[in-house]
Amino acid sequence: MSAFKRKRGGQAPGNKKAKKAKFVADTSEAPKENEQEKTHEITVPAPVSQGKWKNKERVLIFSSRGINYRTRHMMQDLRTMMPHSKSDTKMDRKDKLFVVNEVCEIKNCNKCIFFEAKKKQDLYMWIANSPHGPSAKFLVQNIHTLAELKMTGNCLKGSRPLLSFDPKFDSEPHFAVLKELFTQTFSTPRYHPKSQPFVDHVFTFTINDDRIWFRNYQIMEEDAALVEIGPRFVLNLIKVFQGSFGGPTLFENPNFTSPNMHRRQIRLAAAARVREKQMVKELQKLKRAGTKEDVTIDVTADVFLTPADETPVLIQTEAPEPKVVKKSKHKAFKRQRMARK
Amino acid sequence: MIIDSSTMESEDEESLLGQESEDENSELSDSELQEAFAKGWLKPGMNVLVDQAKKHVNNVEGLKQCLAGFCKDLPWAERLDMTNLPAEDVIYKAEGKKPAVKSGDVNPDDDFQREMLFYRQAQATVLDALPLLSKHGIPTKRPDDYFAEMAKSDQQMQKIRKKLISKQLILEKSEKAKKLREQRKFGKKVQVEVIQKRHKEKRDMMTAVKKFQKGMTDKLDFLDGDQKKPKEPSQAQNKVAKDNKKGPNAKRKYKDQRFGFGGKKKGKKWNTKESHNDVSGFRAKVANAKGAKGAKKGAKGGKQNKRPGKSVRKQTKSRS
Repeated sequence: MSAFKRKRGGQAPGNKKAKKAKFVADTSEAPKENEQEKTHEITVPAPVSQGKWKNKERVLIFSSRGINYRTRHMMQDLRTMMPHSKSDTKMDRKDKLFVVNEVCEIKNCNKCIFFEAKKKQDLYMWIANSPHGPSAKFLVQNIHTLAELKMTGNCLKGSRPLLSFDPKFDSEPHFAVLKELFTQTFSTPRYHPKSQPFVDHVFTFTINDDRIWFRNYQIMEEDAALVEIGPRFVLNLIKVFQGSFGGPTLFENPNFTSPNMHRRQIRLAAAARVREKQMVKELQKLKRAGTKEDVTIDVTADVFLTPADETPVLIQTEAPEPKVVKKSKHKAFKRQRMARK
Repeated sequence: MIIDSSTMESEDEESLLGQESEDENSELSDSELQEAFAKGWLKPGMNVLVDQAKKHVNNVEGLKQCLAGFCKDLPWAERLDMTNLPAEDVIYKAEGKKPAVKSGDVNPDDDFQREMLFYRQAQATVLDALPLLSKHGIPTKRPDDYFAEMAKSDQQMQKIRKKLISKQLILEKSEKAKKLREQRKFGKKVQVEVIQKRHKEKRDMMTAVKKFQKGMTDKLDFLDGDQKKPKEPSQAQNKVAKDNKKGPNAKRKYKDQRFGFGGKKKGKKWNTKESHNDVSGFRAKVANAKGAKGAKKGAKGGKQNKRPGKSVRKQTKSRS
């Protein structure tokens, strides 16, 4: 394979810097090789365009222990998208946060994206300007990674992104700070050795619903047809600190409810619903038991009764006389009676 | 500290009692509260402590100072950042409608609307940035022969392509099915029409024939017309019928002819008045392979009864 490895280059003066470009046909070496090989060799410019790499921004991307697979994938995606990033081993949960600053110093980084997982379900993201601050803490929601099939775009690994911001970022001071922080962190320095000299994707940061929505699009055509590449996530700002991973709080998001609180509220609401149902049931039971007696008595039964005239009550004190039985003992037959008439 | 009497966690008898007492308590003074506590009306769990409305920090000055402190003054070519409103909605523009929602109040639960907003914002950025990029000499398109590692592997892209294709296939299939359904509906109509037409032709023909019979006309041209016209459709119909309903195959036909198809089976083989004495079907050559005079065995060709006579058959049966 190495024989056919295509190398970039030829004409660029920056070639000398490219370490791996050993196969490049140098003008002095070329005549020694036979003609056939020379014709097959294709020369491609080195990945780094000519120019001096001045902006030595480096971003440390790492996490605490206990992150789930989705977060891990997203972290990996961010690393592929940002050639100026560095990685480190996961931090122990017991370590204090300001240890991150030391890690940054060791790794020679001046920006840091730190993922902090809690309860294996909540993910927090710190973005910090390492030695002197400021730093911001976000809750990360709705993570989608590069591996998802609905994201159909693709871009060069290590190409520099355009950064697109919502105009709302200029409306409030804390958003302005965040914007500067994002620009410095996510923009790849020009002429970075690992970067590609082309701009073929856009990071967008939009504020909607008090959250910052991150999207990554590929630039397809000059007429701005875009295709999403990924990853995508939503950042919910919690706090902005003056220092890096600490220091006085500059801003606190009033609309933020912690995920614990949110879950608790949901639980309480569900419990209240159940309790209400039970109460209603009990009430119905009581009602059913109570109303049975009332049905037998009709309240309106004597509405139309009118009082009648009082009749004197006669009380017989003596026994009634026995009735005289007048019965002729010799009753004639019917035939005789008829004849008599 | 404020005692909130609105919500209670547990609905025990205790707390129900407590609620009542609390309702009273809420307007009582401290000393009365103390008394109540001494009497044991107030119990832990009955009262909910509510913090003062939390004060959220928003240190504008500090934020501004901080921004000024860590802001780097880099040229645009280093940062490549853009701040802009979302681009105009092409769909709405094409339909001549005004955008239903401003960018400020996009419903975050409406996936399509929201994603469209992000897309348009990115679009606006790209449109604005492309001239700037070209001005700074930053290419946006790599040459065709430039191969480098991509963010997504070829495998992944293959998977994506496969999924897209399968989706398209499903769409096409459903569309086809829809069309077929419609066609079937239409086809029925056509069939009915054809039948009606045929009936009408027949009726006309019959009336024409009757007229001729009665001597009302001398012309026989209706026959020509009849021959001419229905010939083509009849041929076509025959073809259609052939296509639609294939008759039995040759083998079946032969068998039908030989053994009969349908009809009464019983008594078919019985002799009738005519047949009982008829031996015309008997061929001595064939039967029992006893050829007529002069004819040699085996020289008669294919037609020969292979079945031996009855007595022979009996013998063989008993032998075995």
